[in-house]
Amino acid sequence: MAAAPKEVIQPDFRAIDRGVLRAMEPAGRAYWIWVASCFTLVAIAAGFWLRQIYEGLGVTGLRQPVNWAVYITNFVFWVGIAHSGTLISAILFLFRTRWRTAVYRAAETMTIFAVATAGLFPLIHLGRVWFFYWLLPYPNERSLQPDFRSPLVWDAFAVSTYLTVSSLFWTMGLIPDVANAREAATGWRKKFYTIVAMGWQGTDRQWRHFSMVYLLMAGLATPLVISVHSVVSWDFAMAQLPGWHSTIFAPYFVAGAIFSGVAMVITLLVPMRKLLKLEELLTPWHFDNLAKVILLTSLIVSYSYATETFMTWYAGDPIEQMTFQMRYFGPWGWMFWMMVLCNCLIPLLLFSPRIRVNLRALWVISIFVNIGMWLERFVIIAGSLKVNTIPSQWGPYVPSITEIMITVGSFAWFLGLFSLFAKFMPIVSMTEMKEGIVWLRAALKRGYSTGA
Amino acid sequence: MNTVTIIGSFSGEGECARAVRAVRTARIDDFHTFSPFPSHKIAAAIELPKSPSRWVALVGGIAGILTGLAVTIGTTYEWRLNAGGKPLVSWPPFIVITFELMILLGGISGFLAFLFMSGVPAFESASGYNSHFGEDRFGLVVRCTKEDADGVESMLKTAGAEEVVRGV
Amino acid sequence: MASNADAQAQPAGTTLMAAGAVMAAIGAISFAIALWSGDAQIAWEAYLVNLLYFLGIAQGGVVASAAFYLTQAKWGGSTPYRLAEAFAPFLWIGFILFFGLYFGRAGIFPWVLHPIAQKAAWLNTPFLFARDGIGLGLMALTSFAFIRVSRSEEARTWAVAGEEIDLPPHAIRFWAPIVAVLYAIIYSLIAFDLVMSLAPVWRSSLFGWFFFAGAFWSAVVAMALTAVVLRGRLGKENVFTNPVFMHDLGKMVFAFSVFWVYLLFAQYIVIWYGDIPVETFFIVQRVHHMPWSPLSIACVLLIFVVPFTVLMSVRAKQTPAVLGGVAMFGLIGMWLERYVLVVPSLSRDALPLGLTQLLITVGFLGAFIVCAVPGINLTARAALSGEAIGGGE
Repeated sequence: MAAAPKEVIQPDFRAIDRGVLRAMEPAGRAYWIWVASCFTLVAIAAGFWLRQIYEGLGVTGLRQPVNWAVYITNFVFWVGIAHSGTLISAILFLFRTRWRTAVYRAAETMTIFAVATAGLFPLIHLGRVWFFYWLLPYPNERSLQPDFRSPLVWDAFAVSTYLTVSSLFWTMGLIPDVANAREAATGWRKKFYTIVAMGWQGTDRQWRHFSMVYLLMAGLATPLVISVHSVVSWDFAMAQLPGWHSTIFAPYFVAGAIFSGVAMVITLLVPMRKLLKLEELLTPWHFDNLAKVILLTSLIVSYSYATETFMTWYAGDPIEQMTFQMRYFGPWGWMFWMMVLCNCLIPLLLFSPRIRVNLRALWVISIFVNIGMWLERFVIIAGSLKVNTIPSQWGPYVPSITEIMITVGSFAWFLGLFSLFAKFMPIVSMTEMKEGIVWLRAALKRGYSTGA
Repeated sequence: MNTVTIIGSFSGEGECARAVRAVRTARIDDFHTFSPFPSHKIAAAIELPKSPSRWVALVGGIAGILTGLAVTIGTTYEWRLNAGGKPLVSWPPFIVITFELMILLGGISGFLAFLFMSGVPAFESASGYNSHFGEDRFGLVVRCTKEDADGVESMLKTAGAEEVVRGV
Repeated sequence: MASNADAQAQPAGTTLMAAGAVMAAIGAISFAIALWSGDAQIAWEAYLVNLLYFLGIAQGGVVASAAFYLTQAKWGGSTPYRLAEAFAPFLWIGFILFFGLYFGRAGIFPWVLHPIAQKAAWLNTPFLFARDGIGLGLMALTSFAFIRVSRSEEARTWAVAGEEIDLPPHAIRFWAPIVAVLYAIIYSLIAFDLVMSLAPVWRSSLFGWFFFAGAFWSAVVAMALTAVVLRGRLGKENVFTNPVFMHDLGKMVFAFSVFWVYLLFAQYIVIWYGDIPVETFFIVQRVHHMPWSPLSIACVLLIFVVPFTVLMSVRAKQTPAVLGGVAMFGLIGMWLERYVLVVPSLSRDALPLGLTQLLITVGFLGAFIVCAVPGINLTARAALSGEAIGGGE
């Protein structure tokens, strides 16, 4: 199917630098309107949060029995998004995967801002936000201590560790790149980059320690990623609630996290590639491989749904079977079937090599996956609470305007931060692209098809 | 002072590595290199031992394990909560906390070791730095005596240096 | 000269096959004797444990080869593929022996003599043997279709092609995903039907995944052991002497051992925390009661603690004796794991681990060796062919 090979200019190191640094040139009006809109939405959401702090959680739709709903869904959703960034930057680094270099900086950046967004939600859900420090062990007169046997405390430690270690890993990778940007910059930018680059010059001494610690951090981040989303899944699996108490949750949630996260990477990267003119660095080959990760994790998620369904039927526990029957055919059944469509069926299109490199189709599929995965968390969390073991406790849940606006605000917060970073800091790792330039050249030479 | 600084600029890591080997064979050890990315070839030519930062990270990780155990076991004895009949010191949850703290302290100490050992933040520029060493050129900066200077310069040129500059 | 090279290229010669055949015969005879002398229960238990164990290694190997293609692994030319596929012929033996379980079903499946009304639609003899039989047959068929394509000229050229980003041949891209996906589905089914149903009240949704992940690891470990043995026997210039090859195998052993213990912990902590009696009894019996407790601890030691601590350093992974030793322990550990999963459900308090079990195990091992010999010879030939190893770094 190869057409006559078009004359492709093979990039050299300077071309990589040019491509990435050009993306950091001062932005036009459209960009600032976009950023301003994002942060306006954030301000509105912050206003709703302030009102919630003042008036209490009653302004939300949370009642008994559904006392965990949109906020916790958002929490799990954003932590899940964060995981794929670390997968791409750390786990694929250990596997020496070739296509990782062009996308890992953007993915890792997505991680940082996604965790920052996720971390807000336990605080938002707390109501009396100022008491958050009760989760930490500190000496006090009444000898009160956090209960380390509670999964919520594990969550606090896991997510904080994840935010810290990911930030350090991300910062490390940035230093050489920002040093490069420092050289090319002028004015206040030069001062800014000089401070961030901390005097890095790429001597053998510096690279020696950099390489070792980078490998170490990748090695630490790998089990961390798996443990964090396992801990988040155990917020639910530790309960005895039907629909929550299931041993498969840990690896199932981790796979789901990577699934939704890589979809979000594609959602961000396809437009970013166009807007920042990075077409020569982010080739269809990179997207082809990202799409394969989505396909694999989609299959794992489908496996998990099927296994849970089978196990519920096999176990024969009438209460659990009732919960699942409500999940499929109850008032919120439409959400479940939308979720199956978005997570299990639509990604099957990615078996086609042609669709995997069709960036528009890929982008649309990624949007469906994001929707499907958000719905999945809601269906599990709120859906299981709604029809708990005592029918007299069953009750309605409708998200209030506060919850909706804060959800919208969280997306705006994430997109705004990411957009700021993409314009002011190197969104593609120049250092690693140069290290792996032979792969970039091979990908470009292959043209825009993925082979026979 | 009898010393002279010679700066060689190379377009490829192979050439730079060759130059490093030549200089080292001539028993001249006061040099450093610049590269836009960590080059295995240059590192192999310099034959540096593995960075000791991994030991710092190991110590940090062990400190994390001990902290995790101390915090979980200590607090559970201080506030003896009956949580569903689970034993006061229950290892499954405590392993989770201990594991997270191990990674946290291991990662932080590794990062700090990196900063400290690399001399970052650096307030003085390493001699001979030129901005193109961060873009697409590899640099070798040698400090030697005036007598050796000519020999070093020819070594660098033989290895394939694009540009050799002598400074003081 | 020529005969020397021949001998080197055929390290697993006719003597090994003969030994394997003798072992298989011994096993069959002890099994028959046990059946006749009234020890049928322990005979069938040993039969089931070994069937699951060796089928796992054989099938896991094929899946490993598929996984190597799907991740475009080029760290050893075509040798890793031949090595992974070497155990595959046992799949047919396993398929046939599976139906042998029919004759012992009364002693193996508690629900045969005491049917459970609620689960009767799923746990009944005809349906179970039909679905698992078809599953195993399908797995064997697709595995061999895949292997045939994998041994083709086109695939071998691709594997030796060095560091490029081209995808494997089209036929491989068709069969490899099928093998991988079917493996997850069918071996989960096998786990639910042949292990979980032995304690029909118990369930764990992660159990299928846990079972086939363990089977995959046992295959990786068998590959590591085979590589170490071949390295010694093949003389000077072979792929196995490249330290990078050993390093990569060692990394796989390390990583999937951690994955196994993660899946184990994920089940343990959920069941422990929920403290629901219908779930906890399974674990309590195996972990906290004699005589099973020391065996469970041994499993964790051999499958996780030893590989994790010993194989942490790069040098340990590259030392054949160390890797081989860890692999040996791992294989024993995995057999014990299958044993601890199956037997306590059937023989509650006694510890049936005596001569009969040993001889039946020897029998299965012999059959396995006979099946593996041709594949191992192919591997040796690939290792000696002097092809370039992709990506030596």
